[in-house]
Amino acid sequence: MEELVKLTIDGKQVEVPAGTLVINAAKAAGIEIPAFCYYDGLALQAACRMCLVEVKKAPKLLTACTLVAQPGMVVHTETPAVVEARKAMLEFLLTNHPLDCPVCDKGGECELQDMVFRYGAGESRFLEQKVHTEEKQFSPLVYFDAPRCILCYRCVRICDEGLGVKALGVVHRGVYTEIGPNRGDHLECDECGMCIDICPVGALTSGRYRYKTRPWEMQHVGTICAHCSNGCKTTLGVRNDAIIRANNRDRSGLNGEFLCVKGRFGFDFVEHPERLRTPLVREGGELRPVNWMQAVALVARRFEEIRARGGRIGVIGSNRTTNEENYCLQKFARQVLGTNHIDHHRTGDVVALVDALAGRTGALATTGDLYRTRAALVIAADLAQQQPFLAFQLRANWRHHGLRLYAVTPGPVREEQYAVRSVRCRPGEELAAVEGLAAELKGEPELVILFGDAVKGELVHRLVAFGDSLGIPVKYVCLVDYANSRGAADMGLLPDLLPGYRPVAEAGLERGMALPEILAAPDLDALWVVGANPLKDAPLASTAAFVVVQDLFLTETARRADVVLPAASAYEKTGTFTNVCGEIQQLRKAIDFPGAKTDLEIFGLLARAMRAEIGPANPEKVFEEIRATVPGYNVALPVLAAGGAAPSSPQNGRVPVEWRPELIRSARDTLFRSGTLGRYSQALNSVTEAPGELYRG
Amino acid sequence: MPTKVNEIIDSAAAIAKGLGVTLKEFLSPTITEDYPDSPPRFQERYRGVHVLERDENGLEKCVACFLCAAACPSNCIYIEAAENTDTIRISGGERYAKVYNIDYNRCIFCGYCVEACPTDAITHGHGFEIASYDTVTLIWRKEQLLAQPREPYPEATVTEVG
Ligand code: SF4
Ligand code: SF4
Ligand code: SF4
Ligand code: SF4
Ligand code: SF4
Ligand code: FES
Repeated sequence: MEELVKLTIDGKQVEVPAGTLVINAAKAAGIEIPAFCYYDGLALQAACRMCLVEVKKAPKLLTACTLVAQPGMVVHTETPAVVEARKAMLEFLLTNHPLDCPVCDKGGECELQDMVFRYGAGESRFLEQKVHTEEKQFSPLVYFDAPRCILCYRCVRICDEGLGVKALGVVHRGVYTEIGPNRGDHLECDECGMCIDICPVGALTSGRYRYKTRPWEMQHVGTICAHCSNGCKTTLGVRNDAIIRANNRDRSGLNGEFLCVKGRFGFDFVEHPERLRTPLVREGGELRPVNWMQAVALVARRFEEIRARGGRIGVIGSNRTTNEENYCLQKFARQVLGTNHIDHHRTGDVVALVDALAGRTGALATTGDLYRTRAALVIAADLAQQQPFLAFQLRANWRHHGLRLYAVTPGPVREEQYAVRSVRCRPGEELAAVEGLAAELKGEPELVILFGDAVKGELVHRLVAFGDSLGIPVKYVCLVDYANSRGAADMGLLPDLLPGYRPVAEAGLERGMALPEILAAPDLDALWVVGANPLKDAPLASTAAFVVVQDLFLTETARRADVVLPAASAYEKTGTFTNVCGEIQQLRKAIDFPGAKTDLEIFGLLARAMRAEIGPANPEKVFEEIRATVPGYNVALPVLAAGGAAPSSPQNGRVPVEWRPELIRSARDTLFRSGTLGRYSQALNSVTEAPGELYRG
Repeated sequence: MPTKVNEIIDSAAAIAKGLGVTLKEFLSPTITEDYPDSPPRFQERYRGVHVLERDENGLEKCVACFLCAAACPSNCIYIEAAENTDTIRISGGERYAKVYNIDYNRCIFCGYCVEACPTDAITHGHGFEIASYDTVTLIWRKEQLLAQPREPYPEATVTEVG
């Protein structure tokens, strides 16, 4: 039972846990104490003096952001003395402030504007020339306008404490004090833009959003990031069917306000000039534009014909399409095309983990668990590069609760900065190294194990057996690459498993060919690729195969296709994604892209053209079906509708599959790469093309 | 018959008085507008079709802050902003209005936009002949609203962006 402290704030009785700061105690009582430098979750700074309050019996005003609530304290937050002090502080902040609100990107959502509006003086007594310095470009994505900076050091602290990058510092003295980047005149960093987002004023601005519009001119659509598997909630600012910025300022998702460079800036692939806008059909060796009716009719006719003569059809699904689409695709393949040769690019051995944990509940860690667990073990993964939000979450846990982190990796990783124990091992020897840590791990009260694609097949079982041998509660995260990699496995885009990891034998089917076998089959009659690019790494053996590709761009695979159907991106549809931790979240459509259709719509059109019945091509209806039929997906709809994350709990008996570790291969995308989508994001490319060691490799 | 005589005198006096007014007005300057044969005259504060002003260098005053659009009660101002560069400098600030439309189907000439503008860029001119049989033509573009460039007009500003 936590100790409680009673105090009085503005005449209200407040009871808060011991150790609470007065600024937070006031917030709990619904009283706002203004603050620039104080920021929830970051170290205390007490630089801005905006939070001054009057405390009974204290000789002078005190900063509420550093004052710990004491029993019997009597605090007043809006006395004339306090208002006078705030007014003076603002006058001081404005001495060199340009007040160019009309052209400042922050105008309309600027904390300084709000405060000056509330307390500020209407007139300036400062008649001297203001100190002015030119705006600087720190990196392709980060701009800095020194005169607007109020030196709250939020940016410095988020980069250092939050990210562990330490790319921003303070240079010069007195009125010339400025924020400076780590490479003297430019930044080499994660380019996450957290500093821009956290800046209370318009000093740090975004290279993508600068001077584009005003905050009140946009519609704000909360959806899920289209890039990696961490499933960050992102709020897209939309104007005229164009995405103008992405952030999550309202902290409404599982990621709070965290977004990495891909989530915050990498949304621009949707408007890349090479985006497909019309279906293409191969005629005389060349892909030519046709209309949707012609393209769909052609695919339906060819599929029917190949099915009628008992031809072999291979289907390759996507790591980026919604659960609804993945579910429909496997249903279409198995029920309409009568094929079980269906697979996707597997980036982590989720199947083996589900199998090894058969019969248990609560053994899969959620992103929230990463913030609360007392100890964690990272195996063979560079989280800061490949799983940015999970890395942020573990780091926050360490800062706030003293997480004890163990890292077993082949190379250097950022987590070593604070790990209690980090072990380097040769690739392939990770588990042996982990087993060497048994004695230390047994001393922990609980553990979350995160493992990358080096641990697969039989090794996953060995890892779980090792976890059991520790005698403490252990939870697992199987790291995967893309936005819905986890959902692709959950929805049965696998040759041996139906949705929910049920064996195909339940549906009276034989195990089908896996992805490399599909590509290598010389007698393949048709290949249907939805949102994937398998031919980038391997050739298609069958030269006669009829190839249909649904994608956003003319990828290597699409270039080989006979029919290319332009698909909508994740920002252009509704549906659900399942993140790396198995949390289901809802996508909301932000924009329309003329010419493209969602994959679900395309399945619907094809089914109608083939006079087949696969149910309505409507995301809500399909999700109803998933909830009713897929084990672990019967989640509460209100949670999803409210923008929350609902943990799925795949759980049934053993998963009777052969272990095929050779099929598991992570693309090892770094912070600035994101498979096909990353190649078409000018924001991400602008960073990797910028000079700087960090972005190489 | 004194009453008859009085009546005649009274009537003549009334006529003379009336004609006197006529004569006086006839001789004083006319206030009736001769529109459309000659242009009408306005009070200075008359709120007519808007003019987007230029500064003393001929640069556009509008910095695309969107405050007029925010103030407009009939939501008829549409702006797209863009950034000035060294080669293309349109306005005095960092930003300029790439597109600035006013929809005169909806404008109620309330003047709120003029009041909201921090750079005195949008003003009410005295234009009023905008009636049209085709409502589409009532959406005025920046090119129609912009004040004529004055001399001297800097070379660099002549190049419009596409
Ligand atoms: S930082 Fe805020 S107060 Fe300063 S110019 Fe920008 S909007 Fe105005
Ligand atoms: S973009 Fe991110 S990593 Fe770079 S300086 Fe800002 S906070 Fe630090
Ligand atoms: S740049 Fe912004 S966040 Fe950083 S110190 Fe200045 S005002 Fe604060
Ligand atoms: S961590 Fe992953 S999900 Fe989150 S913003 Fe970055 S790419 Fe998107
Ligand atoms: S005059 Fe009034 S209605 Fe017309 S554009 Fe300005 S604010 Fe809008
Ligand atoms: S918020 Fe307390 S001093 Fe800045």
